[in-house]
Amino acid sequence: MTATATILPNRAKRNLTIAKAMAEALAQEMRRDPSVLVMGEDIAALGGVFGNTRGLLEEFGPARIRDTPISETGFIGAAVGMAAVGMRPVVELMFVDFFGVCMDAIYNMAAKNCYFSGGQSAVPMVLMTSVGGGYGDAGQHSQCLYGTFAHLPGMKVVVPSNAYDAKGLMVSAIRDNNPVIFMFHKALQGMGWLGTVQGSINDVPEDAYTVPFGQAAIARAGRDITIVGLGATVHLALDAAEELIANGIEAEVVDLRSLVPLDRATVNASVKRTGRLLVVDEDYQSYGVSGEIIASVVEAGTVLTSPPRRIAFPDIPIPFSPTLERPALPSAEKIVAAVTDMVRGGR
Amino acid sequence: MTPTRPQFLWMYETMVKSRAFEERIATAYFEGKSPVFNMANGPIPGEMHLSNGQEPCAVGVCAHLDAADFVTATHRPHHIAIAKGVDLDAMAAEIFGKKTGLSGGRGGHMHLFDARVNFACSGIIAQGMGPAVGAATAFKLRGEKRVAVAFIGEGAANQGAFHESLNLAAVWQAPVVFVIEDNGWGISVSKAQSTAVPHNDSRAAAYGMLGHRVTGNDPAAIFAVAGDAIARARAGGGPSLIEIETSRLAGHFIGDAEGYRPAGEKDALFARDPIPALRGRLLAEGMMSEAEDLAIVKRAESAVEQAIAKARAAPFPAAAEAFDHVFA
Amino acid sequence: MIPVVIPPDLWEGDAEGAVSAWLFAEGDAVRAGDLIAEVMVEKTSYDVTAPADGMLQIRIPAEIPFKRGAIIAAIG
Repeated sequence: MTATATILPNRAKRNLTIAKAMAEALAQEMRRDPSVLVMGEDIAALGGVFGNTRGLLEEFGPARIRDTPISETGFIGAAVGMAAVGMRPVVELMFVDFFGVCMDAIYNMAAKNCYFSGGQSAVPMVLMTSVGGGYGDAGQHSQCLYGTFAHLPGMKVVVPSNAYDAKGLMVSAIRDNNPVIFMFHKALQGMGWLGTVQGSINDVPEDAYTVPFGQAAIARAGRDITIVGLGATVHLALDAAEELIANGIEAEVVDLRSLVPLDRATVNASVKRTGRLLVVDEDYQSYGVSGEIIASVVEAGTVLTSPPRRIAFPDIPIPFSPTLERPALPSAEKIVAAVTDMVRGGR
Repeated sequence: MTPTRPQFLWMYETMVKSRAFEERIATAYFEGKSPVFNMANGPIPGEMHLSNGQEPCAVGVCAHLDAADFVTATHRPHHIAIAKGVDLDAMAAEIFGKKTGLSGGRGGHMHLFDARVNFACSGIIAQGMGPAVGAATAFKLRGEKRVAVAFIGEGAANQGAFHESLNLAAVWQAPVVFVIEDNGWGISVSKAQSTAVPHNDSRAAAYGMLGHRVTGNDPAAIFAVAGDAIARARAGGGPSLIEIETSRLAGHFIGDAEGYRPAGEKDALFARDPIPALRGRLLAEGMMSEAEDLAIVKRAESAVEQAIAKARAAPFPAAAEAFDHVFA
Repeated sequence: MIPVVIPPDLWEGDAEGAVSAWLFAEGDAVRAGDLIAEVMVEKTSYDVTAPADGMLQIRIPAEIPFKRGAIIAAIG
């Protein structure tokens, strides 16, 4: 071993925010494939309200980085037509909450045209959209709506929790021949004005790579309980797992990464090892992701040592006042309390 | 722009074929639905929206298109599909829900797709317009001389998608033509009841694009106006909006009792049926002989008979095939 | 020890800025040109890169306000 070898790391870390990782994935795929373009509100000169298209206008120009009118029905519908004739549009729905003005283009056309055409006509498009609350923006700019999109057939749905996954999932999304809903959480985006969860910033290789859909990640290994999260709740679960060490509890954290397809096998295998399941979801509780995960584990016949539980957003519109909103959101404290009760209380 | 004799004859034959097709479809649709009309019964279940009377819109526009041009149609798509060159056998089979249909029975009559000729449908009012703008924008970006056409009904002009698509097409100067088939009725609600302006072509001005209205349900007049608009789009001159006065000779769907129509309206519409009118003109102007007419009708009917017979004889898809093609 | 200085002309006016995110942790090895921090001034974001190779020493943690020209870190 030489002296220099002990000093120099193999590769310097290259830490990025999710916003920068997304922009890098878009730029690399646009260089590789002339059929890729980006459309949305404020995505060109401004670089995206959430920073994920910064720098693209300068490199690719206004024909491929297209600021649109505030007209989601029009431009998301246009993306469906572009995809039908050989383009690979990436469109931004600035807040997922805005889906109400354009859902027909998403779930009745993008999601169904492949089926309606018997496979003749694929719809290779990406809809990237911001999700999540906790910053006092009230009920029309704070929702997650993971379950709403994952419920409807014909779309793939992915939710990155960190920059490495964001880049790899975006590259996979652009290369996929199907509509992919790419849901990025505002608190993880690395935009200062939304706060930044430090854990979402991680090492991102410069070369393009893919993170395949349908593969959940074990974000932390543990033997006592499986905590399933996605997006921002992965970090709440990781924080809770760290605290739980002091209580003598080792929690395993599963990051779903993709909802459609859903990696039920990894979740089931984890719960088989730990015997306990807690799902943490910032989306509304009823008829959603948390229920689907619990049902999948129960249907698989996995033996549980305590009843499964969930921490999700209650079935109320997201309130504005911090004293109303914050207690309703999932938190590391809630996770610690629930896990301690499940493991120590034996229920 | 006046149609040449071959263009006139193509328009006539296509109109005859479309009408013959829909007559056979209507006959088959009623099988198993009598004496009790249950939509789920018979060889063709579900809603059935016929386009009899609206054939001039399809042929007058599609005469200027080829397979590379992109067309979106509506819940009432048969005449447009036939004029765009959608495979008639596969289309008939699709309407009968058969394995050999355009999508193997997954779409049915409101969701006809034929990628070979760039034809797509949406059963939701006005929603084909955004995709047409997108396809046209893609053609423009790639420097191709292709155009897109979105067909809609006059009821669609009050949808948000109509206004958003017109604005977007104008802002992006997309090579797209929006064609409104104005049959006067949104199911049972008249245009006068639903629409704030007498004619929707005037709405084009709000988006800085050219608007035209074509009256008389006359294929030659439609051909002329559509030809200019499509040529302009192809040459980089941007989008247009055309409203065509046409007639819905049938109800909104088969089974519609049409109690909302004023007395005498149907008789007046049938008196102006565009197919006999075109036949009369072609014969009178010497563009078609009686013998040629007979040959055209025979050819069209035999193509339709064959398509319907093949569709009836074709196998149904297996239940498990419902799970194919959800994803590409 | 090479200071990481916020250029005095990075933005106009007297507004204070803050690091919205340190992309490396205290003591991490960085290389010249690495993006090490994002600085927010009101809703505008600026990138800060490392001026040299070395070990990062953070002087002003995230979300603590500073004025233009501040030394927010050192590379040693």
